[in-house]
Amino acid sequence: MDLLTLSFAVINGLLIGGIYGGVALGLSLIFGVMRVINFAHGSFLMLAMYCSYLLWATLGLHPYVSILATVPFLFVVGYFVQGVVISPLFKRERALVVEPTSALLLTAGVYLVVDNIVLMAFGPDVRSVAVDITYESIFVAGLPINLARLVGFLAAIVVAAALSFWLKHSEMGRAIRATAQNRDAASLSGINVQRVYNVTFGLGCAVLGLFGALLVPFFSITPNIGLSFGIKSFLVVVLGGIGSIPGSILGGLLLGVFESVASQFVTATSAAIFSFGLFIAILLLRPAGLMGRA
Amino acid sequence: MRTKITFVLGLPLLALALAIPLFVTDSYILHSMAMVLFFAYMASSWNFVCGYVGQLSLGHSAFAGVAGYVTVLLFTQLGVTPWLGMLAGGASAALLSVPVGYATFRLKGPYFTLTTIAFAEILRIWLENTDDFLGIPLKGAQGLTVPPVGGSNFLAFQFDGKVPYYYIILAMLVGVMAATAVMERSRLGFYLKAIRGDRDGAEALGVDPTRYSLTALAISAFLTGLGGAYYAQLFRYINPERNMGIDLSIDMAIMTIVGGQGTILGPTLGALLLHPIGEMVRATIGGSFLGLHLILYGIMLMLAVIYFPKGIIVPLQRLLDGRKGKRAVTRGAVKADALEGKGQ
Repeated sequence: MDLLTLSFAVINGLLIGGIYGGVALGLSLIFGVMRVINFAHGSFLMLAMYCSYLLWATLGLHPYVSILATVPFLFVVGYFVQGVVISPLFKRERALVVEPTSALLLTAGVYLVVDNIVLMAFGPDVRSVAVDITYESIFVAGLPINLARLVGFLAAIVVAAALSFWLKHSEMGRAIRATAQNRDAASLSGINVQRVYNVTFGLGCAVLGLFGALLVPFFSITPNIGLSFGIKSFLVVVLGGIGSIPGSILGGLLLGVFESVASQFVTATSAAIFSFGLFIAILLLRPAGLMGRA
Repeated sequence: MRTKITFVLGLPLLALALAIPLFVTDSYILHSMAMVLFFAYMASSWNFVCGYVGQLSLGHSAFAGVAGYVTVLLFTQLGVTPWLGMLAGGASAALLSVPVGYATFRLKGPYFTLTTIAFAEILRIWLENTDDFLGIPLKGAQGLTVPPVGGSNFLAFQFDGKVPYYYIILAMLVGVMAATAVMERSRLGFYLKAIRGDRDGAEALGVDPTRYSLTALAISAFLTGLGGAYYAQLFRYINPERNMGIDLSIDMAIMTIVGGQGTILGPTLGALLLHPIGEMVRATIGGSFLGLHLILYGIMLMLAVIYFPKGIIVPLQRLLDGRKGKRAVTRGAVKADALEGKGQ
């Protein structure tokens, strides 16, 4: 393989990897604060993509404009899924620690419901959004860079930075970090833990609202693409360290480059095998993740 | 306590199941009934390891798929009877389960679950994209069909009506429940429960968690493989999506969890409750609402996790105890609470 193809693959991998990192931010945040692995994470992204598609198909809204609708919508969805579906689990547990498998099962139920509601509403057909930005590229040092991917990549960096800043400096951000560190102590200090959980979950989903809309210009959608994004996000989080926001972006970049370079050697579908293989290899070498504590 | 409900509820159900083909002749209904039994069988095989070790595997469909492919290929390529093919398939699944289990059982909770998904998906994606492997025609996503031999032929595992298929899977279900009952009372069963309760504690007392979990997994994979081979024979067709996709794994897990994991009868109860709902929805309005039955499965799963974390077998057990007077209720409830407390 020549150097040009390779550098093109690496650049593409970095761009899509940044987006993977952005998509994984919510999973990492939710796990870091609530110790809940959200099995429906990818389904929420898929939901956001369909929202954006629907707004484009019916009202002709540009996907980037539909962000104004998808982000609040996903926030509300996440807020209520946590408030209605997951919180009974927290209330039931006497020790106030959710047994991780129950939470996983519960969100697996959410995954089934969301995926199949979308399947019912839109059918199994592959859909895509055709807007100008899909085909626009800028050239840097002779290499074409797809504009839609670049926007997604930059958005991931900006969102990660903004989220870090917000968690550090806002009142709610401090409450979230306090709850993540010690839920009981946070509760004793007057923090409404349930509300913090609702907001955290809503926020994790709102980020997906953004990336769903940023992905549709160059990503075809079907109702079942959620799971693979969910698993990739989990892989990203494991790579970068659970609960770490810069780690999430870093993990995404690693995965993106790995996938993109691997797909130069095999077909794109078989490249998925390599991501799963990477996932297994990392968990076997470091059972609690690259940065995790066993 | 558990033994009692197994017999009080299980024996009448078995009698009913044995008698059904005497009254029902409609082949669609018999086929649906066979499918209920099939899912009860698969859920019970899943329960054999996951219900007792307390780990959630969503990769079991790989065992079903591998065994199904082995059976079908042995029959179509070499003319080996599917009865032997099933055993060979089950053995292949068990063989596959050992390295997979060795790698994954060290992981906990969601890490374990996601790794089992990764293993099964690797296998499925590879199969979907491989038409020919070392001269073996796998035919990728298209799948393999079993050519009809014409008429009923016991050795070819092909029968005219649905009745033989029905009784075969019923016998398999009784077999897996008997195996579970034996396992529960054996050293292996007690070790598994000890591992579920407190893995480190069990290890400190000299129980090797990896070894016993692996033993149970290999048996479970073998049983799941037999079921997968049956599935391929029933439809005389196998493809990677349906016979080893994640949906099959999710079905097994949901039915067991809704019914009651770590019990003999629970998985069957779950299948009896869920599969008919799914089937009815599919038969009536499912044509226009693809996926509606999975929405119902998802809702039932969420309700079960929130309200009956030990499965619907627990309230049934309480109901049964209730007839024996108040004291039994209290004792049963205390015991159930104790189980709930240390179960995980």
